[in-house]
Amino acid sequence: MNVLLQFWSGYARMTRRWPALAAIIPFIPVVALWSAVAAAGIFPRAFFPGPVDVVNSFVTLTYKGILPDYLGDSVIRLFTGAAVGMALGIPLGVLIGTSRWAHRICWPILLFFQAIGDIAWLPILLIWFGFGLTTMTFVIVYTVLFPVVLNTVLGVESVPRDLARAARSLGASPARVLWEVTLPGALPNIITGLRNGLGYGWRALIAVEMIVGTSGIGFMMFDARRSGSTVEILLGMIILGLLWYIVDAWILAPLERATGQRWGLVTS
Amino acid sequence: MKTLSLKNLAKTYFDPYAGSHVNAVHDVSIDVEQGEFVSVVGPSGCGKTTILNMIAGFIPYTGGEILLDGKPVKGPGPERGVVFQSFALFPWKTVLDNVGFGPKMRGVPKAERDRIAREYLALAGLSHAAHRYPNELSGGMQQRVGVVRALANNPDVLLMDEPFASVDAQTRMTLQEELTRIWQERKPTVLFITHDVPEAVFLANRVVVLSKGRVLDQIEIDLPRPRVWDDLVKDDKFKQLSARVLQMVRAA
Repeated sequence: MNVLLQFWSGYARMTRRWPALAAIIPFIPVVALWSAVAAAGIFPRAFFPGPVDVVNSFVTLTYKGILPDYLGDSVIRLFTGAAVGMALGIPLGVLIGTSRWAHRICWPILLFFQAIGDIAWLPILLIWFGFGLTTMTFVIVYTVLFPVVLNTVLGVESVPRDLARAARSLGASPARVLWEVTLPGALPNIITGLRNGLGYGWRALIAVEMIVGTSGIGFMMFDARRSGSTVEILLGMIILGLLWYIVDAWILAPLERATGQRWGLVTS
Repeated sequence: MKTLSLKNLAKTYFDPYAGSHVNAVHDVSIDVEQGEFVSVVGPSGCGKTTILNMIAGFIPYTGGEILLDGKPVKGPGPERGVVFQSFALFPWKTVLDNVGFGPKMRGVPKAERDRIAREYLALAGLSHAAHRYPNELSGGMQQRVGVVRALANNPDVLLMDEPFASVDAQTRMTLQEELTRIWQERKPTVLFITHDVPEAVFLANRVVVLSKGRVLDQIEIDLPRPRVWDDLVKDDKFKQLSARVLQMVRAA
């Protein structure tokens, strides 16, 4: 019992000093189990490679320059799509959130198109734009757009009416109210929308790359299937998880906390 | 003289569920002279908040007129400062930036508006809280910020909508005493809405009693200043005036 408590205490102190450890330690048993199953030889090696094989493949592909190129392509596509999605989604969300007429007209249309998932657009997009960047960008923008719009609307509508009234009676014009009250008030929700949007977008991108891609992580994985390289497929999967973890835990989540919690808008 | 005049003010709105028109306010005439402190007291539903919202320009009125300095009021404007029951501080701005918001909207440079904000924070004993965010303050401190934020913009009239209704009883008394002190120092024109009769009498030069959207009576409060609760709770004249107003409000 005592030993367990000491172990726990040591873990708590260590993860407080190096918070990154808290993210790595839970994976140790997962990787250990994976190694054990692979080493036990239950499945053929080519069918179920172990962690060491995947690391080797990572080193080789990085050395050849394929992996950095593909990774760069995927990330650039995601961020281009996200930037366009935000540029369209935030103004649209503010419009719907502030104008009752825009809300009445746009809301049903928005919900209708939200139901048509990103991938459901692919058949028609392939006919219209063919296998290429336009199709990929369309899907990412489409995926990012809805969470951003819906959360922006939610954020704008959650700003208390008295705040806008206070600003107006302190001399702010309607345009200043938008800038000084509506947008900062909606910001925590906008970031939540962006966080969700990027998460969905990342998954949609991989799916689209598998179908229409000529490069990117999704393409690499699907291409590896053709050559029967399970190692590269596993490597792709691990990279997807790792990259998202870094973006979400190190960039988006702190951003969300820095706004909402600091201002007491989000209680947690 | 910057006088606020309400002349035969009326507000009628259509209730779609009842299918009929409702007269929230009818034929209300009140004059508030420059430097006067007027309380409007009445039971809930008597139309007092509606009147304040019309003066502030948040909602339109349907009859009569509202004149400030002889000119009709239309829409919200900085010459009519508002203190809200909900405080309505900007959560993403520090106390200093909240108080400096009005001057910022007028285009006052940063250094100058910080100076103005600090001067008003000192007036409310809040200098130490300048760099804190509203959610880090108690309710009483938040409303002190709300009051000086409105004052720092130098409004012709200060409209206060049950500003102390959501703080605890002890803090409320302190805030009331501070408000009378600040009023004596600066002599702003104040229209103070409340349902609390002792509060209305304690603060004001004149109490307007409202009932069912009409002015029932106006009573001069000629109690000496400075006013502090320790003295006034024992004061016969204060008791008499409060009793008289209370009787009217309860009969209303």
